[in-house]
Amino acid sequence: MPEIEAVGIVKRYGGLVANDGVDLSVDRGEIHGVMGENGAGKTTLMSILFGLQTPDAGEIRIHGAPVRFHSPIDAMAAGMGMVHQSFKLFASLEVWENIVYGAEPRRGPFIDRRAARAQVAELAGRHRLAVDPDATVGELSVGVRQRVEILKALYRDARVLILDEPTAVLTPPERDALFGVLRRLAAEGRTVLLVTHKLHEAAAITDRVTVLRDGRTVAVLRTAETSARDIIRAMIGRNVNLIVEKGPAQAGAPSLAAVDLTVAGAAAKPVVDRVSLTVRAGEIVGIAGVAGNGQSELVEALVGLRPPDGGRVEICGIDVTAADVETRRAAGLAYVPEDRAAVGSALTASAADNLAMGFQRAAPLARGGLINPVAIAERARALIRRYAIRISSERAAVGKLSGGNLQKVVVARELSHDAPVLIAEQPTRGLDIGATETIHARLIAERDNGRAVLLVSAELAEILALSDRVLVMFEGRVLADLAQAEADEDSVGLLMAGRTWESA
Amino acid sequence: MNGAPRWTAVALRLRPPPVAIAILFAALTGGALVLVSGHDPLQAYAEIVRGSLSRDSLPDTLNWATPLVGMTLAAALPLRGGMVNLGGDGQLVIGGLIGALLPLVLPGQGALVSIVALGAAALGAGLYAMLAAWGETRHGIPMLISSLLLSYPAVGVTSYLARFPFRDVATGLPQTPMIPEAARLYTLSGPLDAGSLLIAAIAAAAIFVDRRTVVGYELRMRGKNLRFAGYGGVRLDRQAMRTMFASGAIAGVVGAILVLGSQFRFIDDALLSPSYTWSGLMAALLVGGEPAGAILSALFFSALQTGGFAMQRETSVPRVLTLVLQAIVILFLAMRQGVGRRAS
Amino acid sequence: MSGIFTPFLFQSAVQAISPILLASLAGVLCGRVGVFNLALEGQMLVGAFAAIVGGYFSHSALGGVAAAMAGAVAFSLVLAYGATVFRGDPVVIGIGMNLLASGLTAYLLRVIFGVSGTFSDPGIVGLGRIAIPPLIGMPILGWAFGRQSVLTWAAFALTAVVSVVLFKTPVGLRLRGVGEQADAAETLGIDVARYRVGTVLVAGALTGLAGAQLALGAVSVFAEDMSAGRGWIAVVAVMLGRNNPLYAAAACVLFGFADALSINLQSEGLPNQLTDISPYVATLAALVITHRRRTRVLKPPAEVDAATPGETATTQRAVH
Repeated sequence: MPEIEAVGIVKRYGGLVANDGVDLSVDRGEIHGVMGENGAGKTTLMSILFGLQTPDAGEIRIHGAPVRFHSPIDAMAAGMGMVHQSFKLFASLEVWENIVYGAEPRRGPFIDRRAARAQVAELAGRHRLAVDPDATVGELSVGVRQRVEILKALYRDARVLILDEPTAVLTPPERDALFGVLRRLAAEGRTVLLVTHKLHEAAAITDRVTVLRDGRTVAVLRTAETSARDIIRAMIGRNVNLIVEKGPAQAGAPSLAAVDLTVAGAAAKPVVDRVSLTVRAGEIVGIAGVAGNGQSELVEALVGLRPPDGGRVEICGIDVTAADVETRRAAGLAYVPEDRAAVGSALTASAADNLAMGFQRAAPLARGGLINPVAIAERARALIRRYAIRISSERAAVGKLSGGNLQKVVVARELSHDAPVLIAEQPTRGLDIGATETIHARLIAERDNGRAVLLVSAELAEILALSDRVLVMFEGRVLADLAQAEADEDSVGLLMAGRTWESA
Repeated sequence: MNGAPRWTAVALRLRPPPVAIAILFAALTGGALVLVSGHDPLQAYAEIVRGSLSRDSLPDTLNWATPLVGMTLAAALPLRGGMVNLGGDGQLVIGGLIGALLPLVLPGQGALVSIVALGAAALGAGLYAMLAAWGETRHGIPMLISSLLLSYPAVGVTSYLARFPFRDVATGLPQTPMIPEAARLYTLSGPLDAGSLLIAAIAAAAIFVDRRTVVGYELRMRGKNLRFAGYGGVRLDRQAMRTMFASGAIAGVVGAILVLGSQFRFIDDALLSPSYTWSGLMAALLVGGEPAGAILSALFFSALQTGGFAMQRETSVPRVLTLVLQAIVILFLAMRQGVGRRAS
Repeated sequence: MSGIFTPFLFQSAVQAISPILLASLAGVLCGRVGVFNLALEGQMLVGAFAAIVGGYFSHSALGGVAAAMAGAVAFSLVLAYGATVFRGDPVVIGIGMNLLASGLTAYLLRVIFGVSGTFSDPGIVGLGRIAIPPLIGMPILGWAFGRQSVLTWAAFALTAVVSVVLFKTPVGLRLRGVGEQADAAETLGIDVARYRVGTVLVAGALTGLAGAQLALGAVSVFAEDMSAGRGWIAVVAVMLGRNNPLYAAAACVLFGFADALSINLQSEGLPNQLTDISPYVATLAALVITHRRRTRVLKPPAEVDAATPGETATTQRAVH
């Protein structure tokens, strides 16, 4: 009898069907992978299993008996535990407070702090998850925070542990340590559901894999008997070419340069620590690294959104260290930001207004401080056509667009600057394969047109496929500058974990 | 394009706008309040309409509208960029006092004196408002709070100045001396004076700037997404300072217009007791700072308030009811928008 | 200990502190669950009016205090549901509530008592003062606390209670979590909306006490807009205190002394138009001193929404 089953789960959000009859069956003590592309319905299914959403149809069974989860309390009472992709932790509270929250040991009306800490320490010791119960969560590294999340579930005695993309924020060694923990948990009879889109991880740790596509279960595969290509075909529904076509780079003069760029952080250690880099015209330089190692701050300092605390930035030979965003853009900088909704666009504004940003001061969109609405609309229509943005008209607000279409708005605007330098940060995050291919092809085309492209991505595969040179960032520093030929998954992976060639 | 989408567009337009629903809701709640206090709500509302829109009372409404439209624009400008200026009272009295004192000391004649006085009032009040923006951009002191707190010293000091150093000893009342007739604003017809024209011109300028200029575009984008504007190269600090200066300057001009056009001297508390600042802020909130809409809602509120006098006179329902109605409209709208936000 | 540091200064300072302190405790509680409360001014005013109504009809101070709490709690429903379940903008709701309080109390003053401006009646019993004989003889402490109203004592006692509840009990831990990371609390099975609504209503009761202290504390009287900016000062105290009740109380002490000092300066012959502004000037000075650093990193709207206005660079809203 399976430990947990989901049968015919349907979940709609307005017109969108996120789960359209999903089946899942997981045995006790199994590590089970749930795979699929972005938008395949993995996260919705997990939210339903953990009681955060209620299904419109279908049922969940534990040991064969139907259960209904109206809230996470019900799910937790039934033995479910979940580690979310973005951690659900209270940064200002201590580790023990995060773990006992909502189920505190008491002494009279007060929290029994001593008992709570003792329980947390005991639990951490038993599962070999080293954490200091008194540490403030906000000061912990990402890997340790994940341990806190796992301890939260174990404190509530979860028999089924759901982990949503747990390795996205981990270095390869941290990932291996996590897998060790998961194997031990499975060995003692707990069940692990691992949501992931990374093939090698599924191959490395899972017993079986359930593949979702367009909200349906399309395959249940036994990992040991399955090839990576089978899983991909199931995920995508067709054979895809994972290699990006591109010729050798014709690198020219340096267009973007940073010298000893430093950004101080809240802690004593700078978040960006004397970073020097050069991007020449006609090449793509990729910055690899686990998210949160200073890449965002580096980019913000390069584009002028964050004043640097030391060092120099040059765009096309002009020193722009003290210049604001406007001046840097004028010097020849275009920028596709990490967060297209919060930074890259104004969701309630029209496509025309969104596409005009950055061009609003100069002809033909403006003259003498007056804007020209006709020119703005014409330009927007032209860009919408050229980039095949699916939107009813240039007057419609961009907030309703899909992630891929919104990203096209941002990319269309930034590329239409014809600026010699392009900084693209996580340009394909959350996009489907089709949109990803389009954007990759554009970036290569821009390179071949002689632009200097700085690509920042947490997806190592993307970095390796597109970059002519790869820089690896770790804890605010650039550990290596590798030519394309030297950069492979192993060498870069090692550096992402902070180990240099010599010490490895 | 086939017919179907156009039909849905028509249907959407037929759906009553949230503002109308909010006004209806306020009228019903307010009516219940009137009923409970032993009066006839229908009669009360009829008096409000008669007392504001009839041929006899319309001039009063327009007279009330002059400062209210001004203060609404003063509130709407920062609101359009996602900022809030709660210090309108302070800026109003600074403008009023400057407008009352300069004609007493300036040499020369008539119109020129009033123009200089208006300009100085705008400058003084604008700079004072800018102080709040400076505090936020330089030191991170939230403008929402500082603009309000700055208002109290301004009110206190101007009140002191009108009561002591610059008091009109002839009357013995807490007010400055009369300004010479030549320096007063021209009267056009009835209660309307050159000040009303000036406010109308400011209103037209606000709409034009909002729709047709780079400054307006950048302010709108800031209001929709601050980080987007900063990322797109808008100089946020400078923009905040400029916007607050303009907002304060308009408030200062309103103060000076009231002094030069109708009161002819700075009378302690006379500028504040009608609470133009707060009514203006509410009128601006009603439409999210969009200038054309702000002007309409200011006209609506002035009709409401002018009608309130008639209501109190004829039915003895206290006219402060109109303030209650305005507040309910805003509260209702704030929550309705929240519901809409959740749905999207 | 002569000159301006008179026994009267200490007594009036402590008296001035108590309504602000009660209101700022309410602000702290709301801030801790992530509801930015700008409506303290209006809540206090409703409390003060209800206190007078209750006192007038019940002929007892207790009736007044009970009515104040009930009235303020009822009024707080607007914020409790508006800013949570209906997801309205707390700034707009705060502004609206303050104006509603001002209009509603003035309207009801005319309807119920038939007067405008101020109202007092010999039938209204003020709050009793607790005289503590051993204290009375002592300098400073005796001046400050020798003879104060019940609610003044309650204000200081409640500061301690709020601190203990927030930092030592399960409920307090949950409240703090709800304000810091609501979705995390939700995944641990906490009904965030219920905690928020409940907290805002409890905070409403505190603002009711603040209003009762205003109306019944020193003299039994209601005046239109008698909260006179105290609610805004409480908002600043919450901000300066970073949602910590003890720090907020410290800020209130500063403002209370500034207020008391202004009364003293008035008796020295300075015009009250100038002395009245001293609490606001003190507040502004405190803001400038505590914010003397450059903050120019733009924060995402989610953080701006959080109830720590002291941390935000620019208030961001959508009102259209």
